[in-house]
Amino acid sequence: MGEGHLASAFPATGSLRVSAAVLEVKAATLRFGGLVAVNNVSFKLDRGDLFGLIGPNGAGKTTCFNLITGMYSPTSGEVMFQGKAIQGSAPSRIARMGISRTFQNIRLFGALSVLENVVVGGFLRHKTSLFSAFMYLPGCMRETAHLRTEAMELLKVLDLQDVATVRAADLPYGKQRRLEIARAMATQPDLLLLDEPAAGMNPQESEDLLRTVRRIRDDFGKTVLLIEHDMKFVMNLCEKILVLDHGEAIAYGGPADVRSDPRVIAAYLGEPD
Amino acid sequence: MKTWLILLIRVVSIVIGVSACFGIDWMSHNQVAVGPGLHFAILPTNEYISRIFALAGLYVTLAVSLNLINGITGQFSVGHAAFYQIGAYLAGFVSLTYYGFMGLTGLPWLLAMMVLGGLGAGVAGFVVGLPSLRLRGDYLAIVTLGFGEIIRIIVQNVDKLGGAYGLNVSPKFQMIWLIWLLAFVCIAVCRNLLRTAHGLPFLAVREDEVAAAAMGVNVTKVKVVAFIVGSTFAGAAGALLAHYEGFINPGTFAMDVSFIILTMVVLGGSGSITGATVAAILLSWLPEFLRGVKNADGSALMLSDSSIIAALLATGIGVALIKRFLDRPPFKWRYLAVTGCFLGALVLKLVIQRLLNLSPALSVAHIEAGQIRMVIFAVTLIVIMLLRPQGIFGHHEFSLAWVKGIWRRLFPRRGVSA
Repeated sequence: MGEGHLASAFPATGSLRVSAAVLEVKAATLRFGGLVAVNNVSFKLDRGDLFGLIGPNGAGKTTCFNLITGMYSPTSGEVMFQGKAIQGSAPSRIARMGISRTFQNIRLFGALSVLENVVVGGFLRHKTSLFSAFMYLPGCMRETAHLRTEAMELLKVLDLQDVATVRAADLPYGKQRRLEIARAMATQPDLLLLDEPAAGMNPQESEDLLRTVRRIRDDFGKTVLLIEHDMKFVMNLCEKILVLDHGEAIAYGGPADVRSDPRVIAAYLGEPD
Repeated sequence: MKTWLILLIRVVSIVIGVSACFGIDWMSHNQVAVGPGLHFAILPTNEYISRIFALAGLYVTLAVSLNLINGITGQFSVGHAAFYQIGAYLAGFVSLTYYGFMGLTGLPWLLAMMVLGGLGAGVAGFVVGLPSLRLRGDYLAIVTLGFGEIIRIIVQNVDKLGGAYGLNVSPKFQMIWLIWLLAFVCIAVCRNLLRTAHGLPFLAVREDEVAAAAMGVNVTKVKVVAFIVGSTFAGAAGALLAHYEGFINPGTFAMDVSFIILTMVVLGGSGSITGATVAAILLSWLPEFLRGVKNADGSALMLSDSSIIAALLATGIGVALIKRFLDRPPFKWRYLAVTGCFLGALVLKLVIQRLLNLSPALSVAHIEAGQIRMVIFAVTLIVIMLLRPQGIFGHHEFSLAWVKGIWRRLFPRRGVSA
């Protein structure tokens, strides 16, 4: 059963559907010396997908994210974003193409305020020059005001407007996670990568988060790829799930298919004797 | 009390700045007799005072421009004197050789030299900025330190630039107002940067490079721009120094100058432009002010071991108490630790003296205040850093809201819990 779904995860290259994909990872492999972190992994996200990437610890999920966002470039294989190969591009360039991410271990700009964090995300759309900033020209002031308004709107969506002036490092954990999402959304990406967004959240918080992520997809039309360990969260949220184990894709399909896949059960619980 | 002190410092620095811009130069050149009252208001009344005044202005430029690299962008650079030197030598040498080129003389020539020195240092800043793309923290500090020494040693060994003796820069321009104008432009540029969204990528790179890159910030460009802009201002300051002093030698730009500039940035509060400015003015005046201590009472200090012990104890306890009063943390013995170390050393010295049966005369030292001024200077720095490890201003800039916040914290209103 798993085999059949794996086949649909690897569509034949050259088929017409390829160009419709937002993101396509083709046989990506990443080696660190003798260690194969990601081995021949392929998957494809269509526009508007809510795609889950799961697997035991050390399965290579975050490494996959790093491959997509340009922190690493694959030893072999391709990463296609909207029909263009992006492997080997600098992370900042990939971000400007329209891929944004959050981090598993929260990486906010601690000394900056919540609002400023989000403005950094929106800054890649700036048009005025640095020189106009040095001179404090009106155009630059207007742009700053505009970016701040935009950021404030986004904070409202994620229910962070009350803490807009608080230092990011002083926020409670759950809000820091939400701020990471707000900051990633501020770049107005086509593809949003969420690395364990619900980690460390209580049931109520992860319930809220689930609704938020769904809203990001439904109201903002983003394609979402997320890593998550909270199975309830993934199964409720994602429509397609790829399971990684030891750097290899072992199963692909809807939540129900993946849950009952013997290889997935084996990967999580160990082989039955 | 703290608020008043900071307010006072700010007011004094504004007075210095504004008066420096308008007419101080005129005063010093016309030898206007200013009364002793004005003397204490730090108005330059003679060559000596006006020179400190000029140097303070240059140090403000240097500290604020280093703050852009170090405090705002977070690239730990320890070679700022090198950019200062490049600007000074470039402008000095060109002035000496080509003065009057294209009919430029006087102020336009000096402005051209400023631009030239700035450009030269900016190119150097670009070159030094490149390794900063790969190096972080200590490693970048080592590279920039090395760069500073390389520049100094190269200049020391080039005969055309005067070698170790130095270079006489022939047309002297003692325009203090221009020096302070440069300082203000430097402050304004940094301040404007932080007031617009363009400043945020710089801060983001300081906070987290990886996250900044993931948000589309071109980390490479940000770092290199910080280095270029910072070193350009340092170079322009160097050009002004060369023409103000009329003589420069490699010793003027030794490693300790880099460290003093760095100290100004850290002391004022890394990342705070106000902090860098105030610390630069303070540290320019402090050694000179201490020089005056001897003149004030005219007698040498008599220091014995017991008085040193008493002074150290008093300092240590004072630091601990002030710290307790200001921030109200639980009393910590570690504020006494430094004193303890000094005390231990002194006790050791006494024991050794007794053991060796040395003459008791050795334990009494005649020290003139002027001689130990650099020691007092260093101790002042240590005390300030113990009191406020985050620097005088921390990450903050001077603003009315900020002052109000401190006021509230120090003097909470009745009914509002502290």
